[in-house]
Amino acid sequence: MTRTTAYRVLCSILGAAWLAVGASLFGMFLAYHAPGGRHEGLFSTMGPQGHYLAAFAGCALLVWGLMLLAAAHRPLEGRSVGTATAFGLVLCAGYRMIAWVVGDYAALADVLRMESAVFLALALGFVWLRPQRPGPAEAA
Amino acid sequence: MIGRVLASLVIVGLLALDLVLPRLGIARMGRDPVARADVAGAVPRVGEAMPDFTIPDLDGVPVTLSALRGHRVLLTFERSVDW
Repeated sequence: MTRTTAYRVLCSILGAAWLAVGASLFGMFLAYHAPGGRHEGLFSTMGPQGHYLAAFAGCALLVWGLMLLAAAHRPLEGRSVGTATAFGLVLCAGYRMIAWVVGDYAALADVLRMESAVFLALALGFVWLRPQRPGPAEAA
Repeated sequence: MIGRVLASLVIVGLLALDLVLPRLGIARMGRDPVARADVAGAVPRVGEAMPDFTIPDLDGVPVTLSALRGHRVLLTFERSVDW
């Protein structure tokens, strides 16, 4: 498997995952405010404000996922998507580590650290698998 | 190339920090055992005497537990409706 192929696979998998999570978050907002909807379940305690922010995160994830799928389709043109994604994954890992230290998410225990490690490993993948900028001869 | 190496160093550094976090002793409640240890000495067990304390009642008048010795005491904590 060439580096570019691996980059495409990585973009495709993460893009699909982000689309699924983004759609779920957005759907959660719609379900919460649906007429006659019952405010029960795991995330019901988030309240209207929490669902509002979840919908915002869902929209951002949908766009991020679509950009990753576009980068998988055209990896050379989508090089910068890899850079931005690596940065975003590092941020995601960072706030999970802070959440672990703060302790207000104790119910999640070491899941936070495990997710953080996965995100950092993925970021490394995006850093090293991102296609090189074509040289002058190739560009011509 | 230098950018990739620098980015990798940052990421690997964070990964190392993630792995050693439990050993740094900076977690307040990141793990249940730590949280339980924090309050273990502050909670009387069933059958033990309640430590004396003073708290305001609904009218703001201070009430001391020892002043109620000989009476049955029910202590409840409820969220006020005007929060």
